[in-house]
Amino acid sequence: MATDPRLARLAPHADTPPNPPPPPPPAEYSPNIQPVGGFDGAGDARDTRYPQGNETQDDGGFKLKFCTVCASNQNRSMEAHLRLSMAHYPVISFGTGSLVRLPGPTISQPNVYAFNTTSYDSMYKELDSKDPRLYRANGLLNMLERNRGVKWGPERWQDWRVGAPRLGNQRQQDKGSMGAEGGVVDVVITCEERCWDAVVDDLINRGSPLNRPVHIINVDIKDNHEEALVGGRAILDLADSLNEVARQERESKGADGWHDGTSASRSGFDERVPDILAEWQGRWPNLPALWTIAWF
Amino acid sequence: MSATVQQQSSSSSVSDQLAQLDAARSLVLGDAAYYPQIVQGILPIIGANARHELRRWGAEFLAETFASPTLAINTKEGLSLIVLDTVLAMLVLEEEKEKDTGVLKSVVQFAASVYPLVFRHTITNPNDAATWEKMNAIKTKILRLWDTAVPGVRICCIKFVQKVIQVQTPGTIADPRRPDQNEISLALVPRNHPLIPPPNLEAQASGLLDRLLNIFQENTGDAVLVNATLNCLGILVRTRPSVSNKILTAVLNFNPLKLANSPMTPKIKIMVKSMERTTRSFLLNVQKRNPGGPLVGRIQQHLDRLNQSRMDIFDEGSRKRVLPSEPTDGLDPSKRVRLGADLHGTPTPPLRLPPIPPLPMGPTSIAQLFTLTTDEELRNFDVQQLPIDLVVKITLPVLHRIDQRLLDEALNGIRTRYTALSREQQMSQSSTLQGFDDDDDDYEPDFQPAEDDEQILNKLDNAPPEDVRDQEPEVPLGPFKLPRPSPFTDDELEDVSQGTVVRVFEFMATLDEPSPTKRQKTGINRLAASNYDRDSWITVITRLATRASTSLDTVEDSVKTEDGNGTELRKFTISNKIRESLYIYILEDFRKRIDIAVGWLTEEWYNERMQMKVGNNTAFRYEKWAIKVLDGILPYLDAKDNRVFTRYLSELPDLSKELLERVKTLCLDPERVQLVITSLHYLVTLRPPARELCLDVLEDLWRNYDDARAAAAKILARWRPTVLQQKGPKNGVGPEMKVTRQADAGQNGITMVS
Repeated sequence: MATDPRLARLAPHADTPPNPPPPPPPAEYSPNIQPVGGFDGAGDARDTRYPQGNETQDDGGFKLKFCTVCASNQNRSMEAHLRLSMAHYPVISFGTGSLVRLPGPTISQPNVYAFNTTSYDSMYKELDSKDPRLYRANGLLNMLERNRGVKWGPERWQDWRVGAPRLGNQRQQDKGSMGAEGGVVDVVITCEERCWDAVVDDLINRGSPLNRPVHIINVDIKDNHEEALVGGRAILDLADSLNEVARQERESKGADGWHDGTSASRSGFDERVPDILAEWQGRWPNLPALWTIAWF
Repeated sequence: MSATVQQQSSSSSVSDQLAQLDAARSLVLGDAAYYPQIVQGILPIIGANARHELRRWGAEFLAETFASPTLAINTKEGLSLIVLDTVLAMLVLEEEKEKDTGVLKSVVQFAASVYPLVFRHTITNPNDAATWEKMNAIKTKILRLWDTAVPGVRICCIKFVQKVIQVQTPGTIADPRRPDQNEISLALVPRNHPLIPPPNLEAQASGLLDRLLNIFQENTGDAVLVNATLNCLGILVRTRPSVSNKILTAVLNFNPLKLANSPMTPKIKIMVKSMERTTRSFLLNVQKRNPGGPLVGRIQQHLDRLNQSRMDIFDEGSRKRVLPSEPTDGLDPSKRVRLGADLHGTPTPPLRLPPIPPLPMGPTSIAQLFTLTTDEELRNFDVQQLPIDLVVKITLPVLHRIDQRLLDEALNGIRTRYTALSREQQMSQSSTLQGFDDDDDDYEPDFQPAEDDEQILNKLDNAPPEDVRDQEPEVPLGPFKLPRPSPFTDDELEDVSQGTVVRVFEFMATLDEPSPTKRQKTGINRLAASNYDRDSWITVITRLATRASTSLDTVEDSVKTEDGNGTELRKFTISNKIRESLYIYILEDFRKRIDIAVGWLTEEWYNERMQMKVGNNTAFRYEKWAIKVLDGILPYLDAKDNRVFTRYLSELPDLSKELLERVKTLCLDPERVQLVITSLHYLVTLRPPARELCLDVLEDLWRNYDDARAAAAKILARWRPTVLQQKGPKNGVGPEMKVTRQADAGQNGITMVS
C-alpha cells in the first residue's frame, strides 16, 4: 500500500492529540511502591515471583493456544504472556491501540512508538539514554527489560493476519511461540473492556473467513505494574482451568454420553466456558470478567 | 515426501506417525507451495480406517489448510475436490459411531471453508454432478448435526450454515469483467444452471436463515449458541443487503437480558452480560458501518434500552454487594469522589430542621401561609424590591444545593397548614363562599413552595406588600370553577376571528424569507411544514384555510355560492377570511408570491377532490378563487411577466374554460398578446390534458382577435392545421396565404416525425 511521504513526517504528531488519554499509570507510581524484586529479573528463573516449578512442569499434554491483548502490548498483556509461556502454553500477544504509548516526563509528553516495527530493545535503549533515573523509577525500564526477554516487539491486533504461519528465527525465539506456529489461537484474553470491544468489533469486520471459533475473554486489570502481576496470576489460573476442561473433552472421545449423558459428561469445552468463568470469578472477584465466542 | 509418509505409516507407531505428520505440517507452514503434495500424501493416513488420533490430526490439518490465508484460493479449490471423499467418509463414521467432538468440529469447520470453493467449481463445471453431490451429502449431514450434536459442534454448524447462506444469497458483483475477483455468491450462477438452480438455492438459504435466526426467538438463553450466531452475522448484514433487514429485525427483537429474570447465579450473570455485550457490539458495528441505514434509529433505541436495563439489573447487584468487595472501584478517581461525598453526608444524620411555626390567629394572608421564618425583620422584607435577575441568581444555586429532607419537611409544613386552613374554612364559610378571581389566579401551588424554600435557607422572607396591606381577602380555598363563558355573538365571533387571522398573517412578517440558495429539494417524502420559515407557515395557513373547517361549513357555503353567484359571502367564516387575506397577501407582490398562489389553490383543489371522494357536499371554491386570483393579477401583468403568467397557468391543478376566457381578454391589449400566446403554447405542448381546451382558445383568438392572429396561426399550424385550411379569418388574404404555407410546413414536420 502506498503511503503519502508528506504524511510520514506528520504521523507521530497527528497521532498525538494535544491532550492525550492518560498513559498507563506507571507515571503515577511512586518509587516506594515498586515491587521489591523489580522487573529486571523477569525472565529469570531465579525470580521468586515465578516459582521454579512452573518452568519445568510441561507435561507435554494437550494445550489450548492463548492470545493476550491490552492497549499497548507492554504491561498487562506482556505480563500475562510471560506467565502463560512459562507454563508452556502456546501464547502470542497484541495491543489494540493505534500506537504504543509509554509515559514520558510529563503527562502531555508520552513516548510514542509504532507497533510492529519497534522492538522492546530499541525502546529500552532509547529511554535508558534519555533519562535512566526517571524511567527506572517509574518502572518502565524494568518492564521493557522483561518484555525484550519475552518477544521482539509490540504487535498490533488489527494488523494481525490471523492464520498466517508464525515462523522464522525471530518468532521462534519468542516465548510461547511453540505450538502457536499456525497463527491461530483458541482463547483471546483481553485486559480491558475497551480492548475486548476492539477485538470483538475487529473480528466482525474481518468477516470470519477462517470459520474457526475463538473465545474472547476480558479480565479487567488496572494498568499498573502491581495489578498486572495480580492479573497475570489470575489469567494463568483461568488458562489452567480452561485447559483442564478442554483436555477432558479431548480425552473423553465423545462416544459416551452423547445423547443420554448427564450434563457433566455430555458438555464439552465450549459450553463449559461460562461455568469455568463463573467459578474463576468466584476466586478472583476483583477482576470482573466478560466473555463471548467469536470467529476468526 | 508423500511416499515416505505412506511407506512408514504402516509400520511405525502412532506417536511416530504423529511426529512425522507434525513435521509435514511444519513444512507447509514454512512454504505453502508444498500443500498439494502433503494433502494428497496424508489422505490415506488419516482416512476413516485410521486410528482415532490420526483422524483427529487429519481433520484439524484439513480445517487449517482450507482456512489458511497463505494458500491461494484456486489451489484450495483444486485440493477441495480431492479431499471431499475422505472427509465425507470421516463424517459418516463420526456421526454414526465415533462421535469425537474434536474431529467433528474440525470437519465442520473444513466444510464451511470448502463450501464456497466447491460451489464455485460447480458454477464453472456444470457437468460435474458427482462433486456437488458429495458436497451436498456433507451439507445434509452437518444440517442434521446442527440439531443433535453437543454445543461445541453446533456452533461450528452455525458457522457452516452462515457460510451456506452467504454463498446461496446473491451478493454484489464488484467487477463483472474479472470474475476471479468477485466474492463467491449466488449472483455468479447462471439462471439455467442444471446442478445449482439459483431460485432453489436462494429459497434454501432463506429457510436456513430463518432457522439460524430462530435462536433469538426461542430465547433459550444458551449464551454459547447466541454469541456464536451473533458474531457471525456481521458479514451477512454487510454483504447481503437482501437479508440484512431480516437479520437486524431479528436481533432487535431479541432481549439478551431476559435470562436475568431467573435467579442470578454467577454463571447466569456471566451469560447475560455476555449476550448483552455481544448484541451491543454487533449492533454498534452495524451502526458504525452504515450510519445512514434504515434501521439506525431503531438500533439506537435498542442500544439505549439495553443500556438502561443492564444498569438496572447489574447496578442492583452491585448495590447489594457490600462495599469492601469492590476495592478496584476505589482506585477509580471518579468513584472515589462519590464515595467520599457519601461518607461526608452520613456523619451528620440528625438534620436541624427549623420548626414550623403555627399560623397566627385570625384571617390568613397568602404571605402568612407560606412564611416559615420566625425572624421578624425577614418577615417584613419585601422580596419584590430585588431585581428579578438577582432573585433568579440566588434561587437557582440554592435549589441545587438544598437538602432534600429540608425541602420535604418545609413542603409538608405548608401542606399541613393548607389542609388545616381549608378544613377550617369549609366549616365556617360554607355558606358565604365566593370566588376571588384575581387571587385565585395568583395562587400557584407548584411554583410558590419552591421559591419559599429558597427563602427558608436564605433566611429571606417573601411578604408581598399588597397582601400585607389588605388583610381582608382571605386565602380562598377549596375547588373553584370558572363559570362557563357566554357564547359569542356572530359579531363578536367575526371580530375575534378577524383578529386571529390578522395575527396569523402578522406572524409571517417575523419569519425569515427562505433564501433560495438554502432551499434544498427535499423530495416527495418531506413533511409539509418542517422548517421554521415562511414557507412552512404559508403551508400551515393554506391548510387552515382549506381543511380546518372542512366538514363544518361546506353545506351552508355551497348554498351561498348558488345564491350569490360566487360573490362575497354574507355569512362570515373564518376559512373564507383566511382565503381573503391570502388573496390580498398574494396580490401585494404577485410576482414573487405566485408559488404561494399555486400552492394554496392546489390545496383547495386537493381538498375538494378529497371531499368529493368522501361524498361530502362541497363548495367549489377552487375555481372561484383561481379566477379571482387571475382577475386580480390580470390588470397588472405586463409583457415581461411571461414566466409568472405561464407558471400560474401551467401549475394550476385544473384549468377551466371560464378561466381561459379571462386569459383571452388579455389579447385586447396588443402588448400582451405575446404573453398569452407563449403561455398557451406552453400549455399545448406540455400539458396534454388541457391541450384541446387551449387549442379552442387559440382558434378563437385566430378568428376573432386581429392582434393575436399571426401568433395563434403558428401554433395552430402545428396542432390543428385543418382549422387554418377550412376558412380564413374574416378579412385579409395575405395572412391566410402565409398561414397555409406554414401549415404545410407544419404537416411536413409531422409526417417527418411520424
